[in-house]
Amino acid sequence: MKQRLAIISGVRTPFCKAPGHMKGLKADDFGAYAVKELLHRSGVKVSDLDELIFGNVIQPTESANLARILAVKAGIPLSIPSYTVNRNCASGMEAITTSANKILSDEADSILCGGTESMSNGPVLFGEKMVNLLLKLKKAKSPGAMLSVLGGFRPNYLVPVIPGLVDPLCGLSMGQTAELLARDFKITRQEQDQFAVISHNRAEAAIKEGRFDGEIVPVPVPPKFKEMQTVDNGVRFGQTLADCTKLRPVFERVTGTVTAGNASQTTDGAAAMIIMREAKAKSLGLKPLGYLVDYAYAGLEPERMGMGPVFATAKLFEKASLKLEDFDLIEMNEAFAAQVIANERAFACNDYAKKHLGRDKALGEIDREIMNVNGGAIALGHPVGATGSRMVIHLLRELKRRGKKRGLATLCIGGGQGAALALEVN
Amino acid sequence: MSLQVVQNDTPNNPAINPADQVFKLEIDESKIAWLTFDYPGEKVNKFSAHVMAELNSVLDEINANKSIRCLIIKSAKKGIFIAGADVKEIMDILQDAEAAEISNMIKKVITNGVSTFNKLESLHCPSIAVIDGACMGGGLEMALACTYRVATDDSKTSLALPEVNLGIIPGWGGTQRLPKLVGLVQALPMILAGKKINGKKAFKMKLVDALIPREFMDERLSDFIEKVLSREGEKKIKIAREPRGFAVKLQKALLEDNPVGRNIVFNKAESGVIKKTAGKYPAPLAAIDVLKNTYNGNLKAGLAKETETFVDLTTRHTDICKNLVNLFFTMEGLKKDSQVIVDKAPKKVDVAGVLGAGVMGGGIGWLFSYKDIPVRMKDITWDAVAKGYEAANDVYKQLQKIRRLNTGQVNLKMHKITGTVDYSGFESADIIVEAIVENMDVKKAVLKELEEHVSSDTLIASNTSALSITEMQSVMKYPERFVGMHFFNPVNRMPLVEIIPGEQTSPETVKSLVEITKKLGKTAIVVGDCAGFLVNRILIPSMNEGLSMLEEGVDMERIDRAITHFGMPMGPFVLADEVGIDVAYKVAKILEEAYGERMTAPKFIAEMVDRQLWGKKVGKGFYIHKGKQREINESVKSIIGSNMNTSAVLDSQTMVDRFVYVMLNEACRCLEEKVIENPAYLDMAMITGTGFPPFRGGLLRYADSVGIQKVVDRMNELAQNYGERFQPVDLLTKMAREEKTFY
Repeated sequence: MKQRLAIISGVRTPFCKAPGHMKGLKADDFGAYAVKELLHRSGVKVSDLDELIFGNVIQPTESANLARILAVKAGIPLSIPSYTVNRNCASGMEAITTSANKILSDEADSILCGGTESMSNGPVLFGEKMVNLLLKLKKAKSPGAMLSVLGGFRPNYLVPVIPGLVDPLCGLSMGQTAELLARDFKITRQEQDQFAVISHNRAEAAIKEGRFDGEIVPVPVPPKFKEMQTVDNGVRFGQTLADCTKLRPVFERVTGTVTAGNASQTTDGAAAMIIMREAKAKSLGLKPLGYLVDYAYAGLEPERMGMGPVFATAKLFEKASLKLEDFDLIEMNEAFAAQVIANERAFACNDYAKKHLGRDKALGEIDREIMNVNGGAIALGHPVGATGSRMVIHLLRELKRRGKKRGLATLCIGGGQGAALALEVN
Repeated sequence: MSLQVVQNDTPNNPAINPADQVFKLEIDESKIAWLTFDYPGEKVNKFSAHVMAELNSVLDEINANKSIRCLIIKSAKKGIFIAGADVKEIMDILQDAEAAEISNMIKKVITNGVSTFNKLESLHCPSIAVIDGACMGGGLEMALACTYRVATDDSKTSLALPEVNLGIIPGWGGTQRLPKLVGLVQALPMILAGKKINGKKAFKMKLVDALIPREFMDERLSDFIEKVLSREGEKKIKIAREPRGFAVKLQKALLEDNPVGRNIVFNKAESGVIKKTAGKYPAPLAAIDVLKNTYNGNLKAGLAKETETFVDLTTRHTDICKNLVNLFFTMEGLKKDSQVIVDKAPKKVDVAGVLGAGVMGGGIGWLFSYKDIPVRMKDITWDAVAKGYEAANDVYKQLQKIRRLNTGQVNLKMHKITGTVDYSGFESADIIVEAIVENMDVKKAVLKELEEHVSSDTLIASNTSALSITEMQSVMKYPERFVGMHFFNPVNRMPLVEIIPGEQTSPETVKSLVEITKKLGKTAIVVGDCAGFLVNRILIPSMNEGLSMLEEGVDMERIDRAITHFGMPMGPFVLADEVGIDVAYKVAKILEEAYGERMTAPKFIAEMVDRQLWGKKVGKGFYIHKGKQREINESVKSIIGSNMNTSAVLDSQTMVDRFVYVMLNEACRCLEEKVIENPAYLDMAMITGTGFPPFRGGLLRYADSVGIQKVVDRMNELAQNYGERFQPVDLLTKMAREEKTFY
């Protein structure tokens, strides 16, 4: 990147289990709550914004370009344009880097960006046969013609299609790609479960110490609006290995190791921040939360999409002349415990680096004490479009809290990609 | 016939110069006559006697010119087709004419209109009313006499017969031609409740024959004229008016075309009216009577019955008509009056804040969001903030249920609300309404704190119901921007907001608040800073009076019944249970401290508060509430105990007199102390704030109608029997002596 960009203030909604009690809020509603509160808390005037860019994966059928809808709901002036980006699980990062590109190419000075997802509200579609039948029915002019079309109906036409579960490139579900990595790197069920317990325990400690308080925007719970959701509700307090061991594998029922307990949770939530030129932040008298230093996206085999972090990080290090030791904290998205452990191993492995990353030496060994220090998606949940933004916000806040300087935020992307962002405070 | 929605700029406008023509008639080369209604010097068109006369002669002119193929009637006013009859003219008759004369004079006005519209209906050529804007009362009745009606789908286009709101009925054929055109079921809510119909709906219910986008008026209108002038097109239009679809035909067959069904419809309408008005308003009942006797009958006979009923209504119930028309004028006056003299433009309010998200705070938050003003609600805990969200959501759910708003609209409006537990975001607010606990010390502390977080010209308003504005602002850095803004509970239903300037409040602030209140769709009335302000100060003594009667041993339900019979929406005990006895007691206590003995509530009420008999919200108060049912709470008797004289009997007139005159005395004190100066505004405040019966015109108007001398005599009598609080104040005795009235 030509220059680092300032990230002003960042907030997120609580992350709530999906499908769950927050079903009444659509993805754009979640986004709107985050944006509204961000505007009140950041001190940035809407008149200083040039655009709003939001990431989202499961685009609600009723809200095409949901970024525009959530912007207006949040009271952003109609004159400020907005659009939605989708890079699957990295959508919340894509919103940040797309904004950065726009600013660096002098198309904008300051952009409100973030990500949002309501996994409680995924679409359920009719299958192709039913759709064809409905189309024919619509064209039928006479009652007779209608009857003859309806005569073609078969009950199995009603079997719904739930989009997005299987990657069409490799024919595997995301969980199956994690199973593949577990086999590749020989990661046992117990190793995965242990990792999951750490995630829950760390999140529990962070909640108890109020480390999320400043970033979370309480959201009223529809439809009655009787209470506010103030905390993430996926974290299991007092989680032990025994709790994890009880669960059965989900994706490979007989031979598998990946369970609901050692995979990320499906979740509703949103996160938002403002990114702007450092000089602009100064002139407005704003105190940035931190800075985006550089970023990289990388592509890899879709069936091993979970290795995205190591690929993207290698690319980032190359691009920005950085090394693992430059980072004080790491956020690596916990799509699956197996997938994070696989990355840990690949980070530390010279052979892997040579074979896959075009490097002579490994990236380095990741110290678990600085990775996902307050838990990750296994405990907090993974609202796919929002996670990238949450990681950035939380990483910067945690760096500040610890008085540290630089952090790496990296995640894997369904379809075979990885993202890595270098961030710093001060 | 009837009222104008937009009041003319000069309410007392002199009769217009006869030389100024109201109608302009142009006949184009294709022999289409274009008649433009353009009332000189006014923003609206209305029918007064001379307008009607002019229309009459224009119609004669058209009738004489047999080459005219079609008549088009348009308005030259923006957003207005015809606002209705000139209400002022009718008012003058009711007000000034000798009682014996009224009947004849009204009859003349009515028959003039009826015969003119009959003439319009029977022209040799077809006529088309082009409705772009408000088409009210007499305006709609004229349109109904045209052969065809077209309307625009503009947001200003609205068709209605609002006569009943003024205590009268449509008198120029509305009760006859409307049901004939759209059917009984559709016509009833328009005639009985003044229901407004927009252009789109009017087209759907076949009240108009074409819906036209204003932007393509010329093209579409000439297409329509062409259609009208061709035999085939004409037929098509007429056929389109026939009911279509099985459900509609069935409804018509079952409910309109046979006497049994019609009876059901009429009975239902009647019980609906009785339920809504307690039978206190004769106009809708008279309208039902007209419809019952004339529906499906001969037009001429129907018109005669309509005229007869109209005249009978205005002569027999002249007072009710006068009261309602006067209130209409007061309301129109209030809309234009900023109630303070200051040149500066009022402050624009784009962003609002509310402190305290309780019942009132939530309601006020709802109101801002409903008017699409972003509002930030602050309370101490998130649980408390949730209460505010819930209160707003509850109101929206009601609005959704009655289809006032749809799900999408509610979602957008709910998003106007944000919640917070700190002052973040308050720096950008233009107004903050404080609705926290009613405690002077807490309020002072919070106001001081608040000023640290808002800009120096942010308006700050307190929704206190009784505490002194002057005292509150004494601790403020910028007291001039502080003012009382007293909403009534529930905020969504109560139209009144008292605006209370303290000693240091600037006139600009008052003006801004009055304008904001209007923008919020409420009635703002500026009153002085005394304990209880205006409405509670007058109302509380009457509630105390109810308690005293109960203590004397009068049956609770009898008291409530007598008071509702008088016309109040609720008796004192039902009201106390609704408001919350703890809340009412708190206010009563403040008033007792301020005004002493005459405002002292009977002791037993403190005991009720102690025992948590707080009313409906806890299920027990004077009554025991089970869902919508209520029954007397017998334990109240034991609380009153030995003081209770079980044999007390009181006739209902005495109950009403005690209830009303104790209020009247306090109202007069308010006038003496200049808490408010305009008696019409005082009456309006009591009507909009307490539901004092509008047909009685208000508290002071009621005293006028009884006769001040009679009132004073009766009060002296009550003072002897029940205590000094009834001793008429000087203002009253002086008025009686000088034979003056409030109006």
